[in-house]
Amino acid sequence: MARLELRNLHAQVAEGGEKILDGVDLEVRSGEIHALMGPNGSGKSTTAKVIAGHPAYEVTDGEVLVHLDEEEFEDIEIPEDMRTVNLLDLEPNERAALGVFLGFQYPAEIEGVTMVNFLRTALNAKLEEREELFEDDEGEEAEADADDEDAGYDTSPMEGDVEEGDVGVAEFQEIMAEKMDQLDMDTEFAQRYLNAGFSGGEKKQNEVLQAAILEPSIAVLDEIDSGLDIDRLQDVSNGINALRDEQGAGILQITHYQRILDYVEPDHVHVMLDGKIAKSGGAELAHQLEDEGYDWVREEAYETA
Amino acid sequence: MSTQVHANLTEEQVKQISEGLDEPEWLLETRLDALDALEGLEMPDVIRTPGRNWTNLYDLDFAGFVDPLNAAEEKDQVGPEEVEVMSIAEALDEREELVREGFGSVVDPEENYLTALSTALFSTGTVVYVPEGVDAEDVTVRTRMNSQSLFNYTLVVTEKSSSVTILERQTTGDEVDGERYYSGLVEIDAGENSNVQYGSLQNVDEETYTYTLKRGHADSHATINWIEGNVGSRLTKSSVETHLQGEGSESQIVGAFFGHNDQHFDVAARVWHEAEHTTADLVTRGVLDDDARSVYEGVQDVGSDAWDTSSYQRENTLMLSDESEADASPKLIINNHDTEASHSATVGQVDQQDLFYMTSRGVSPRMARNMLVEGFFVPVLEEIAVEEFRDDLSDLVAERLRE
Repeated sequence: MARLELRNLHAQVAEGGEKILDGVDLEVRSGEIHALMGPNGSGKSTTAKVIAGHPAYEVTDGEVLVHLDEEEFEDIEIPEDMRTVNLLDLEPNERAALGVFLGFQYPAEIEGVTMVNFLRTALNAKLEEREELFEDDEGEEAEADADDEDAGYDTSPMEGDVEEGDVGVAEFQEIMAEKMDQLDMDTEFAQRYLNAGFSGGEKKQNEVLQAAILEPSIAVLDEIDSGLDIDRLQDVSNGINALRDEQGAGILQITHYQRILDYVEPDHVHVMLDGKIAKSGGAELAHQLEDEGYDWVREEAYETA
Repeated sequence: MSTQVHANLTEEQVKQISEGLDEPEWLLETRLDALDALEGLEMPDVIRTPGRNWTNLYDLDFAGFVDPLNAAEEKDQVGPEEVEVMSIAEALDEREELVREGFGSVVDPEENYLTALSTALFSTGTVVYVPEGVDAEDVTVRTRMNSQSLFNYTLVVTEKSSSVTILERQTTGDEVDGERYYSGLVEIDAGENSNVQYGSLQNVDEETYTYTLKRGHADSHATINWIEGNVGSRLTKSSVETHLQGEGSESQIVGAFFGHNDQHFDVAARVWHEAEHTTADLVTRGVLDDDARSVYEGVQDVGSDAWDTSSYQRENTLMLSDESEADASPKLIINNHDTEASHSATVGQVDQQDLFYMTSRGVSPRMARNMLVEGFFVPVLEEIAVEEFRDDLSDLVAERLRE
């Protein structure tokens, strides 16, 4: 079972900007759903971005650890001393390769890159990166070679030729069609450019689709419920539940509203205030927040302090 | 500033080139006039911003790299049977009247110093004649330059209600010592209701300076569509232009360039709306890496008689390094109020949010950047109807990204 652990995480806007995270402690295990709630500006999205390695933020203290579950890595043997990894030492693509997925509140719109080519490239890149990350010392030379290869690629990703060990075009199209069907998405999306011209709801659905295809151990979903109509909210929720139920992923569901939690029932609810977790509880906490707002949590926090 | 770079060019040399092609007297006269005119002619216009000429043609060592009598090339010029695809020498032999009428009718040989130099010294070329009512695809002109300098001339004449697709490629072959110069003039005379698609892909080596001027005259309801791809060359000075002279005529100019190292691209797309109900669409995309520089000028000129004009222009440059530089000057000149027109230009770097989004999915930064660059060219590639050309251009882009 994989586990994401935030220990005393402090972060600020890069290059000496405003301090945002002020000692976040949080733990998410695969198979669990955690809701991270809080008012605007409390640090929820920053937490997500810092976990994924967004360059706009600078970590000033603390750790983001992933405790890996070897069973999830199939053919790769993870050396004992590498089963706990500090994500802060890794690039965003390496973090993704270890099974950490960030679902964006406002995903980028990327013209000219089709969904199907991007996702197939991402899936293959993730598999290759995993192998590289856990090569032992003897493998360093191979890693250097792999880095050279990474300086370009043998074939254009737009053409989509297959290298040995990669998921091929036909195989990938099947995977994608199946996942799209589960999410009630039109298969035409596969040939559209990544998020370009998508409605807000389609973008959110697409984020869940990507998670379903990349099969993360931990998915951090940043306000993936905002701006959805009821049908789309149900589709997205079904997708999130499937990530947990079918793939065993741990979910960190960042949200502003209780609404999605009617469909995605959290095991744990955390309230973030002023850059730290002010209160944690079960699903009932979300209802209480919906009814009473955040002020009482703030008061409690002051009293404790 | 007048140009005095060619004191070493002689009438004898020009006569010798002309004799080699067994030319008629009128063409020799045209050449000699152009040679005479050199002294008083200016270089073609370049974009100027305060304190800076973006392209400095006056400093090029024309005397050093123009070698008039030693032109060498390999050329394929092929087309389907119903179209006449001739070398310039064949055309002068078999269709002299056509060449005489067409030569210099679209591009004035003495328009500037470089057109005059080309006219005086050209030694190779292609004439494409499409008779009335003929539909022809796959006219291909491949020029591989093997000498220090090469001056190329192309004339395309399409008769009423004909159609032709022409693909031209320029590359360099045998290596030579020092810098090189390639010059190409293209004139298209598109007859009434005819349709010309002219694609050009320049991929010469980076020791070569290139000057190309491609211009077409479109008669009533004629269409001239240009595709201009520039990947090679040390310095590219290229202008693609259409005069929409006939009612209902149309033109699309699609351009793409990809520069790296210290390549310099000075590209222009220009259209003149001179008649009623004419339509133009100008789309250019460029990518610059390393120390490469580009300057783009786009002109949509709507004349006073051009009622009901539609004219659109977009230019976008993507810079992959902090050292690359780009300037763009889209111009819209409107002398008739019955016009629907727009123009825009952007210059920017790879979007960091886009990069983060892609890398957060496991794609390496380099691969993400490459996908973004390939994706950036897609809107231009989508405008190219000829599959072979589209494939060639996207292959060259992918090859450049692999370097």
